[in-house]
Amino acid sequence: MSDVTEQQGASQRTAASADPLELSRRRPDWSASQPLTRTQKIVMVSLAAALAAAFVVWPLKTAQGLIAVCTLFYVVMTLYKFVVIRASLSPSAILKFSASEIAAQEPRAWPLFSLLVPMYKEPETVKQMVASLAAMDYPADKKDVQILLEADDSVTLAAARALTMPPGFRVTEIPESFPRTKPKACNIGLHLATGEYLVIYDAEDLPEKDQLKKAVMAFEASPANVACVQSRLNYYNPRQNVLTRWFTAEYSAWFDLQLPGLAALGAVIPLGGTSNHFKTRILQELMGWDAYNVTEDCDLGVRLGRAGYTTRMLETTTWEEACSVFQFWIKQRTRWQKGYIQTWFVHMRQPLKLVKELGFVNFLHYQLLIGGVTFSVLVNPVFWAMALVWFVFRPEGAAQMFPGPVFAAGAVCLFLGNFVFIYINLLGCCKRKNDSLMWWALLTPVYWMMMSYSGWRAVIQFFRDPFVWEKTQHGLVKKG
Amino acid sequence: MDQDRKAYRLVRLLTGGVTPVVLAAALLVFARLHDGAWEPGAQTAGICRELIAGTTEGRQALFGSCWVAPLPVLFYLPFAWLLPEPCAGWSAFFVAWLFVFWAVREAVKAAGHSGWRIVLAQSAIAGMMAVSRQPQALQIATALTAGLMLLAAAAVADWAAYRRLRDVVTAGASGAFLMLCGFPVFGPAGLAVMLLPFAACGDRETRVRFQAWLLLGGLPLVYTVGVWLLLNRLILGDAFFFLRSLGYLVPNPSLFLASVFAPGLLLAPALIVTWMCDARADKPGSGPVAATALLVSFACVLSACAKVLGFFGLGWNTVTLNVCALAVLMIALARLRQPLYRLALSLGLFVWLSASWFGGQVQPPAATAAPGKICGEVEAYVNARTPYGRVFVLGYAGMDLLRGYAGERLMPNMDLHVGSLRRAYKGQNLYVLVPRPAGTVRAESVFWKHPDIYAGGAERLLYAEEFGEWHLFEVVSAPTQEQLDEWKKAK
Repeated sequence: MSDVTEQQGASQRTAASADPLELSRRRPDWSASQPLTRTQKIVMVSLAAALAAAFVVWPLKTAQGLIAVCTLFYVVMTLYKFVVIRASLSPSAILKFSASEIAAQEPRAWPLFSLLVPMYKEPETVKQMVASLAAMDYPADKKDVQILLEADDSVTLAAARALTMPPGFRVTEIPESFPRTKPKACNIGLHLATGEYLVIYDAEDLPEKDQLKKAVMAFEASPANVACVQSRLNYYNPRQNVLTRWFTAEYSAWFDLQLPGLAALGAVIPLGGTSNHFKTRILQELMGWDAYNVTEDCDLGVRLGRAGYTTRMLETTTWEEACSVFQFWIKQRTRWQKGYIQTWFVHMRQPLKLVKELGFVNFLHYQLLIGGVTFSVLVNPVFWAMALVWFVFRPEGAAQMFPGPVFAAGAVCLFLGNFVFIYINLLGCCKRKNDSLMWWALLTPVYWMMMSYSGWRAVIQFFRDPFVWEKTQHGLVKKG
Repeated sequence: MDQDRKAYRLVRLLTGGVTPVVLAAALLVFARLHDGAWEPGAQTAGICRELIAGTTEGRQALFGSCWVAPLPVLFYLPFAWLLPEPCAGWSAFFVAWLFVFWAVREAVKAAGHSGWRIVLAQSAIAGMMAVSRQPQALQIATALTAGLMLLAAAAVADWAAYRRLRDVVTAGASGAFLMLCGFPVFGPAGLAVMLLPFAACGDRETRVRFQAWLLLGGLPLVYTVGVWLLLNRLILGDAFFFLRSLGYLVPNPSLFLASVFAPGLLLAPALIVTWMCDARADKPGSGPVAATALLVSFACVLSACAKVLGFFGLGWNTVTLNVCALAVLMIALARLRQPLYRLALSLGLFVWLSASWFGGQVQPPAATAAPGKICGEVEAYVNARTPYGRVFVLGYAGMDLLRGYAGERLMPNMDLHVGSLRRAYKGQNLYVLVPRPAGTVRAESVFWKHPDIYAGGAERLLYAEEFGEWHLFEVVSAPTQEQLDEWKKAK
């Protein structure tokens, strides 16, 4: 379909005609609308009962078994991180385009690019967001920018209407309905999108000016099965306080090392919340985002993999605002971890089918990335407490729970594994040329404790309020 | 494009799979036929046995001396756990040498050379090991050290040449693992890591990030030392336990430590070459000249470190350092841009020269009594005197002696506290079996605690008997009431 016809078709569509819950309606097995299936509930209760019974009958052996399993898991995770980081250092891990390569493209006809910006009660960021997207180096007539605003968000709607929008910018009102989540708004935006490619930005995002052109070039240089190109995310306020320093170190490691490493290995990639560029047609085929999943980006990354598509990393950065207040950070992290739990359960409804669709290696990636990361966050405090007790009190019975080889493997994990994770953050900072943050990255274990706290909070919330979306507060950098 | 990919895969398979497997298997056969050097080292196997049994002595032995490297023990542990002994030894030997050939590949590959050069370099290293006929050179501890040293040296050279972040990480990680390969490589490991920030000083762009390179390169090593200190504090009650032997072995430890790092001065010319090349280059990184200069200097440092240890009378394990030096030189040679036939000739010549130099250093192993025989004699001696006897065999030499021992009378002991033993085994007749303080045995903890124990015993230790190179001492203690009653009855 030509651009003109597509645009004409899109102009006839309205927000009201969109079905933002299409995925949960047509493919309920791929949606988190039902957090746990009946079978999953039965399996979980049976496992818990079996474990409790084992503890009563064979307390020591059960404890030994659990510790051995966890130790093996830590060993595997440490080795996995090694492999991913090593892969990330290979030149092919990330798609790169120099300024001269972009310049060499001109003159050319750039395709229509849809930009979706979901916002909620953020009137103070509207002006900055419009300015930064308008300033992007991409033909104005080829940009289709939709600011997605909830119908009841009168303050942001007023702020948006007060602005004179540049050409190609429009405000899309999202009708009030349940669930009130970002992916639901994005689905309506997707329904109204006219571009060949589509990208999501958050309200406070500052993408690099040439990002859209790089994304188009990346798609053109990649095989047809590349459905998504993920830009790197980082923060523009790393030095605001210790929390933003740690957060930046973590993000640098995640987006500059781990995701490129995963891309180099051809693994399923849990997409970042913003700056993921899609082929619109494929995204529509996949029915957009799951409106019930609170990390719809991560879920979409897995669904892309299941549908046979891949994701590549692009060397361009979108600058965001790091959450600088502890309680907001906890809420944001709780949402992310709850979303990972949702995603894991959704795709593990039919494990064999998942193996078939992803392939065995990608299935392992999935287990370690989505399930493993969450599991380690939850189990870490138990092992830290055990290590502390051993260091301080040296209890006699402790040795019984760690038979020889388990003790050796556990010691390796304690001393090598933890160090590897700290070192990865250091490496991320170094790669980002944030040298002054490297010293702060040494204190990352304190940050892990915060993650474990939010992890357990996420578990509780998963069972009590699975669809609650704890929104991240932005605009704090000015106050700080 | 497809042909390129096919050729690339073929080279990868050849250098990363076929050649290492063939060469490691050949070395295993060679070692098995010649001198049993495939064995992991009796101490390593003994420590693993104790670790698997979960004893305190095993943990003490793992971290209790800077002269007995923990890395080979940790490497051998899964083999010892999963396989019966001869197979465990063979497998560990095979995997250790696979690692060396993989390290050779990584070290040569960075210079962008073809697959055949890598195969030649791998074959040359294997050839050197076979021709030199040094039993110690083939042991897994040497293989692991040599592989790590190659990785560290090549990473430092590549860092000077290309300024890639991955080289800092490789050098840092290799340096940290080298610290676990025993005292002889402490100096070279530290120097390799310290070189990273200094090598970057020739270019303004990388010079301003001095602290980043220092932190990234040095942190793993510092952390490793920190963990070793911590584990010594936790397991042996003294953070510096593993280093205490230095105070006994060398009269002036400060001078000795300074001397260990003094060969670092040999790196100065290579650093100057690197900076000069940097000054001429447009971009950071000064190319292959600096890399070659650094590799050659590093080989000289390794050789000089061996000499320093020999000078202080601690040259028990200089073979490892010499193997490392020759391997690094060989890598420097393989990375030079020269036709393949000339490379083959020069590597062949190098192997021949190094073997003749190395061969001159071979010392026949001292004849010692079989461990099983000594254990049997000691057991018989004690049984003849008391049914409640217990013999503590001291140190790493004890681990070696007890390797094949299945009885319960003899037990290893890594940290002699006569008072603690008496309290723990009240009512039993205790004995202590002390090895002769010669060679590496001098570094055992018992000798820096009781320097004259072998000749004259110590407080509450009474000489009992001599068994080969071992002296047996009886722990003197007042009899318990129960023993007195038994004695009276017997009388």
